Amino acid sequence: MIVDQRGRPTVQLKDLRSGGRLPLRHLSRQQPHSSPSLSWNGRYLAVIIQRGNRRLVLIEDRLNGRAHPLRLPSGRSPVRLSLSPDGRQLAVQTADRGRWQVELLDLSELLEPDRRGGLRRSTPAEPQP
Amino acid sequence: MTPHWPRLTALLIGLCLMGCGPSGLRPERSISSALQRSSDSRRWPSLGNRWLASIASRNGRERIELVDLRNGQPVPLPGINQSDSQPISVSVSGDGKRIALIRSRDGRTELMLYRRGVGVLQRLPVEPAGVPREVSLDGSGRLLAVQVSRKGLWDVDLIRLP
Repeated sequence: MIVDQRGRPTVQLKDLRSGGRLPLRHLSRQQPHSSPSLSWNGRYLAVIIQRGNRRLVLIEDRLNGRAHPLRLPSGRSPVRLSLSPDGRQLAVQTADRGRWQVELLDLSELLEPDRRGGLRRSTPAEPQP
Repeated sequence: MTPHWPRLTALLIGLCLMGCGPSGLRPERSISSALQRSSDSRRWPSLGNRWLASIASRNGRERIELVDLRNGQPVPLPGINQSDSQPISVSVSGDGKRIALIRSRDGRTELMLYRRGVGVLQRLPVEPAGVPREVSLDGSGRLLAVQVSRKGLWDVDLIRLP
């Protein structure tokens, strides 16, 4: 969820079982954050961030600590996003000539699937056999 | 200098591709184009594993739509869109069987759950009373997060669904 942190809208991730706050390696800056979206098991968190004068999508992989900053191929600014539960697709609302539009992006070459039930796949430090 | 310029050019192009290009990110152009053609405007996307729910506007009227991403076609949602209501927020479960939505109707803002298998739209109570603004279903469709305005402050309510 988005919380107000010293006047800056900032994404925060909570564990619903413990109520504790989970650390996010790449999302302590580049506010305002908006439109957070999680995959099935919370491996991936996608959020819109501000970098300089641009809005862009950042996906944090909480399993291996990587950040994936994404500029949309259309060159438009993201307004709202939704990550599919398995992390293989991203839908992004953008504005074009006064119209809201939804762009669909395939992430399957970028992210491993986050499967229901929490099946763990390889990480860079743990190559698949 | 002259013999080196092709190598330098290739290096610059390579660096640009690595540093500037959205590597691994592939636009799904056919479905994105179909979505644009089928509405005047489209907002509030919510993805399931092969489903996209969104609020589509046509001829000045907004409707909730669910598109099957395997073929890009909308699926029927009997009873979810009513002539006297305006959708505000929508979220779909991973399997596309449940759609949570917030709508404005008769001056009230209502939290609703649609079960696609039975075509039933059910109002969910917001307790304590508040005005729901945004909704998010988890992948299983069993846990609902709702942003609610109460006395000028935002809350997030979690609702477990049977």
